[in-house]
Amino acid sequence: MSHVTVDTSEGSTVLLMGNEAIVRGALEAGVNVASGYPGTPSSEIVETFSKVASERRLYVEWSVNEKVALEVAAAASFARLRSLCAMKQNGVNVASDFLLHLVGSGTRGGIVLVSCDDPGALSSVNEGESRYFARLMEMPLLEPGDFQEAKDMTKWAFDLSEELKQIVMLRSVTRMSHASGNVTFGALPDQPAKKAEFKFDGFILDPDEGVVISAPVEWKHQQQQEKVKKAREMFETSPFNTYSGPERPELLLITSSACNLYSREALKLLGVEDRVGLLKLGTTWPLPPKLLGKHLASTDKVLIVEEVIPFLEENVKILAAELASEIGTKTFYGKNDGLIPMTGEMNPDLVIEALKSILNLDYRAVPQEYEQTAQLSAFTGAPPRDQVFCPGCPHRASFFSIHNAIELDGRKGFVCGDIGCYSMAIRPTGFGVLKTLHAMGSGAGVASGFGQLGRFGMDQPVLAVCGDSTFYHAVIPALVNAVHNRANITLVVLDNSGTAMTGFQPHPGLDHNVLGEEVPAVDIAKVCRGIGARVEIRDPFDVEETRRTINELMDDPEGVKVLILRQACALSPQRKYVKNYSMKVDEELCLGEECGCGRFCTRIFRCPGLIWNKDKGKALIDEVICVGCGVCADICPQKAIRREEVAS
Amino acid sequence: MTTQLVQDPYNIIITGVGGQGNVMASRVLSNMLVSKGFFVTIGETFGASQRGGSVMSHIRVSSQGIWSPQIPKGQAHVVVTLEPVEAVRVLARYGNPSVRVLTNTRPIYPADVIAGEANYPDLSEIKETLGKLTEKSWFIDATDRAMSMGNPILGNIIMIGALTAVGDIPAGREDFAAVISRTLPEGKIDDNMAAFDLGVEMLKKAS
Amino acid sequence: MEESVVNRGQSGLRAKVLDAGLCTGCGACIDICPYFRTYRGKTSALFPCIVEEGRCFAWCPKVEVNLDELSNRIFGGPYDGLPLGSLKSLKASKAGPEAGSISDAQAGGTVSALVTFALKQGYIKGAVLTDREGLLPLPRYVDSVDDILRCASSKYTAAPTLSAVNRAVAEGRRDIGLVGTPCQVLASALMRSNQLQRDDFVDPFGLVVGLFCTWAVDYRLFEPFIAARISPERVKKIDIPPPPAEIMEIFGEDGTRMECSLEEIRPLVPEGCAYCIDMTSEFSDISVGVMEGRPEMNTLIVRTDRGERIVDEAVSAGFLEISDMPPDNLEHLTWAAGNKKKRALLRARERGIINSGGGKEPSYLLMNAEVLTRLTEEERGR
Repeated sequence: MSHVTVDTSEGSTVLLMGNEAIVRGALEAGVNVASGYPGTPSSEIVETFSKVASERRLYVEWSVNEKVALEVAAAASFARLRSLCAMKQNGVNVASDFLLHLVGSGTRGGIVLVSCDDPGALSSVNEGESRYFARLMEMPLLEPGDFQEAKDMTKWAFDLSEELKQIVMLRSVTRMSHASGNVTFGALPDQPAKKAEFKFDGFILDPDEGVVISAPVEWKHQQQQEKVKKAREMFETSPFNTYSGPERPELLLITSSACNLYSREALKLLGVEDRVGLLKLGTTWPLPPKLLGKHLASTDKVLIVEEVIPFLEENVKILAAELASEIGTKTFYGKNDGLIPMTGEMNPDLVIEALKSILNLDYRAVPQEYEQTAQLSAFTGAPPRDQVFCPGCPHRASFFSIHNAIELDGRKGFVCGDIGCYSMAIRPTGFGVLKTLHAMGSGAGVASGFGQLGRFGMDQPVLAVCGDSTFYHAVIPALVNAVHNRANITLVVLDNSGTAMTGFQPHPGLDHNVLGEEVPAVDIAKVCRGIGARVEIRDPFDVEETRRTINELMDDPEGVKVLILRQACALSPQRKYVKNYSMKVDEELCLGEECGCGRFCTRIFRCPGLIWNKDKGKALIDEVICVGCGVCADICPQKAIRREEVAS
Repeated sequence: MTTQLVQDPYNIIITGVGGQGNVMASRVLSNMLVSKGFFVTIGETFGASQRGGSVMSHIRVSSQGIWSPQIPKGQAHVVVTLEPVEAVRVLARYGNPSVRVLTNTRPIYPADVIAGEANYPDLSEIKETLGKLTEKSWFIDATDRAMSMGNPILGNIIMIGALTAVGDIPAGREDFAAVISRTLPEGKIDDNMAAFDLGVEMLKKAS
Repeated sequence: MEESVVNRGQSGLRAKVLDAGLCTGCGACIDICPYFRTYRGKTSALFPCIVEEGRCFAWCPKVEVNLDELSNRIFGGPYDGLPLGSLKSLKASKAGPEAGSISDAQAGGTVSALVTFALKQGYIKGAVLTDREGLLPLPRYVDSVDDILRCASSKYTAAPTLSAVNRAVAEGRRDIGLVGTPCQVLASALMRSNQLQRDDFVDPFGLVVGLFCTWAVDYRLFEPFIAARISPERVKKIDIPPPPAEIMEIFGEDGTRMECSLEEIRPLVPEGCAYCIDMTSEFSDISVGVMEGRPEMNTLIVRTDRGERIVDEAVSAGFLEISDMPPDNLEHLTWAAGNKKKRALLRARERGIINSGGGKEPSYLLMNAEVLTRLTEEERGR
C-alpha cells in the first residue's frame, strides 16, 4: 500500500512526489511490469511500484543494471504487456546499447523509459543529459512540466508507445522527481489477468507477430523514422504543449520540464506576463513544426530556458531556419549567448536575470543593504558543511585502513573508484585516497589497465574500490578482464549489505528481493573465486586487521586480489536505531592537542559523533549523533574512548 | 490560527542537516496544508541527506496552484531551522527584512569545525545576526527537550508545533493529528502529539 | 613579516629527516602517537600532526642532536670526539660458563650473557631486543632468558627497535634493557635526557647495551636481494666476518652457506647511514662488537658506572670472561671508528647539516666547532 493508491477514486487530490506521480500515471495506464536500477533521483519509482505490486498485480524488480532492466521491460512489451523502466540519466548510457537495437526492432505492449536527469549534479558526479538520446535513437521524448503532468503524461506515454510500436522516453529532472505537488487522480483500471504471450510465427516483417529484430536494417530504420514522423504529427495537437501570454508577445519564452515552473514564477515576479509569451513544451522530440512555427511567427525575440545542454535551443533554431521564409528571422536568447548558464541547474532567479537583461527591467528581490549584510553574515558566520560519511559508516573505517596501508607501503599506491557513497573518499572524510572517479564499475576497469603498466616501469600499487551493488552492476566484467590479462591489482569490495546510497534497495547479493520474496543470493566471494581471484573477507571495523590484510595483498606481486570488507551501512534497516555500544571519553586519559595525539579522533578520523570540547581541550561524544559503532575506541592512541555494551 | 494565507504563495523553508528528519517534517506540514485544500509544492534537496550536508525543503502554499519547487531569492516568509547556523546560511539567499525565523538551538558541528579548521559561532552571535536579518526570530531548545522526551528526532515535531503557533500557517493541531494518524503507527501518536503541544507552548514562552 | 617558528614536531621531522633521506628507521618515533608507523623497515607519517614540539623530533637521532648536551647528561663532560667515545675500560670478552649455552649468538656471546645476567640480577625487568621473521627485523620486549637467546644474532637490517621501547613504556614498564645499534643507542640517550623538559619525565632504561655497526641494510632492498638467492624463511643466520674478508655470509637452515661480496651489499645501505659518526654506540652503558681475527671473542667497551658495575658482577658470577685487548686490535678498531667519524662529518658538513642554521633551522648535529675542525682535519693513517 502506498499513498499513490491509498485513495483510488477518480478526482481525489493527493500530495505526490514527481516520481510517485509517474508511478500513478503508469498504474492508471495499467502497467504490468516495472524494472530499474537504483539511482538518484529515480529510485522512488521502482520502490513505489514495489509497494503496490501485489494489490496491482505487477511484476517489479531491481535489475542488476540498467541495460538488463530495459531488457526485462522490453520482454514484457514483446509479450504485449505494458512495462516501465526507470533509471537515472547515467543508466541510459548503460542501457543505450540495447536501446539502439530496441528502437530498431520496435516494441509491442506500451513501454516507457523514464530517465531522471540531475542538472547541477545534486546527487551525481556528472550532469549528463538524456534528451540527446531521443534524437540519437530516433524515439519520442516527453518532458512533464509539473506534477499533474508527470502523472498524465506517463499514462499517455503508454498509449503513444502502442500506437507507434516504439519505446517512449519520459525525462524528468531532480526538481521534478524529488519535488512534490498536488496531483488529482484519474481512475485506476480494473486489472484483468492479462495473459502474456510472445508471438513470433508470423511474417518476418510483421511488427506484431514476426520476430523482434532490428534487421533488415535499412527497412527497419525506415520504419523507425516513419514512427518519428507520426509522433511529430501527433505532437502538433498534444495538450502537453501549452501557451500562455499575449497573442503577439514582445518575447517568446520557450521552455520545458521544471524550467516551466521557474519561468512562470519569473514572469509573475517581474510582472511581465502581458508582455512575454510562455510556450511550455511537453513533447520535446520530435518538435511539432507547425505549432512552433505559429508561435515563432508571433514575435521577433525568442528566449529558450532549459537544463543543461541547449537541446531545445538547437532544435528550435533548426526549425526556425527551415521555416525562415514563412516566419522571418528571429533573435534568439539562451545558452548560446550565455544569458542562460550552460551548466548547473536552473531556478527562477536565473530566468529573472535573463529576462531583466532582454527586456531591460529593473528588479531587486530585497534591498541591497539587507542582501549585503545577509551574505556577509553567512560568509563569516556559517561555516561550510562538507558532506561526510555518516556516523558509524563502515566506509570511514575502510578508507582509514586503506589510507594507512597505502602510506605504510610507501610506494605511492592509489585507489581507483566509481559511484557510490564511497565516492566521497576523494574528500577528507575518506582520507582522500580516491584518485580516479568515473562510471559504475570503472574503478575496477581503470585499475585493470593500471595493473598492466608495470611493464612500462610503473611501480605504484594499484587498488580499486566498489560497492556491493556496483560489483554486480558493472565490476564483474572488469574483474574477469583483470584476472584473464594478469593485471596486478587489489580490489576492495565495500560490502554494506544493500544499495545504500539510494536507500537500501536489495541487490543480487541478498536473499530477498524488492517484493520481500526469498531469492537465491549470489555470493560475491564465490563469484570472485570462480573468476580466479585471491579473496579475503574482513570486518572493516577491525581496522588493524583490515590494514594488515590490505598491506599483505598489496605485497602480493601477482594477479588480482579481492578484499571484501563486510559491514552493514549505519543507516541499514539492520543497524539503524541499533546502538551496540555507548561511547564515553575518559577526560583523564584524553590527550587532546598534546604530543601523542594531536586531536587524532576529531581532526583526522572525523566521525561526526565525535566533537571537540573547546573549553576543556578534550574530545567528546555527541550522544545525539553517535550510533555506537565503537571504532573510535580502537583508533584512540590513549584508549581514552571507551565502549560499553548496550543491553539490547 | 488563520484560515487564509497571509501571502499567496506563502513560502516556508525548513532547513537542517542530513539525518535530522527535514524531509519528514516538511511532509507532515505539507500534508496538513493539503488537507485544508491548499496547493502545496515542496522542493527538496536530499542528495546530501544522511551525509552531513545542509538539507533544505522549500514549501510553497497557495490557493492558486503549483509553484516553482525552488523559492526565488529573498522570498521566504518563514524559515524553520533544525540547526542554528543553517538559519544564517539560508537567509543569505532567501531572507528579507520581513522574514520570520524559528531556530532549534542544538548545533550540529560541520566536519571542518570539529577538525578545528573552521569556527562555529556562539549562539549569542547567531542571535545577534538573526536580530539584524529578521522581523522576528525565536530560539527553541527543541532537540534538548526532545531528548528528555526520549527521542531527539521529536525535535522536528516540536518545531512544527512551534511554527503553527506563530499564527501564519492555516493549519493546526487537529490537522496535525489527522495527518499523523494516517502516517504513523498507533504507538507513536501520543509522543508526537505531546511534542507538537510542547512546541506550541515553547513558542509562546519564547515570544 | 614574522619569521615562521621552526616546527619541532612531525612536519619538521618530515622535512629534515624523512624527506631528506636521513632516516635509518630506528623506531624512536614509532608507537608514541598515531601518526608515525613502520612497515617493512620503512618509517611513514600517516597523517599530518599539529604538535609544534614533539617527542618524535626530540628523540630522532638524525636531527638536532646536541652532542655536548648529551655527553654532559650521560657522561658528565662535553663531547670530545674520541674515536671510540667516552669509555672506562676496553677489554676482550666472551660469555662465561654460567651464561649457559649461547650457541646461536654471534662471536663471543657477550651481549646475551650480559643481558641474561642483568635480568637475573634485577638490573632490568625485561629487555628490548630484535628478533626476526624471515629477514624482517622484529623488535620485541622480552623478559625470559629463553627469549633473550632467541633474539641473539646479528641482523644487519635497519630495525625499528625503539618502537618496542615506546610500547613497553606505554604499558608502564620501567628498568628496560636495550640492545641496539649506534643510531638506536643515540636515540635512547635522547630519550633518557628529557629533551622536552616534561615534569613527568622518567628514564625508562635500566641498561643500554650498544652494538658496533658500520652500516645496516634497508630491508626493502635487502629482502629481494636475498630472495633471489635463497628463500628468506630458510635463512638461519647472516654474518659479516671481520675485515679484511669483505663478504657477507648467509647460512641456510639446511646447512648451506652462501657468500656475496660487500660491494654488492653497499647499494642496499640507507642513505642515512652515510652520515653516522658513531661505530661503537658511544652513548651506551656498555658497547659490544666483534674482534678481528678472533671469532670466538668480543670487544667490550664499558662506558658508565652502571655498565662497569654490571660487567664486574657478571665476571665475578662467571657469566662473562674478560681479558686484555690485543694492542693491534685496539689500534685498528680506533682507526676504523675514527675513519667512519671523519668521513661522516665531512659528508654532513658538505651537505650543510652540521652546526648549520644558526639555531633557526634545525641541523643534524650540533657540536663544538673546534672538535669538528679537529676531527675533520686530523690525518689518520694506518
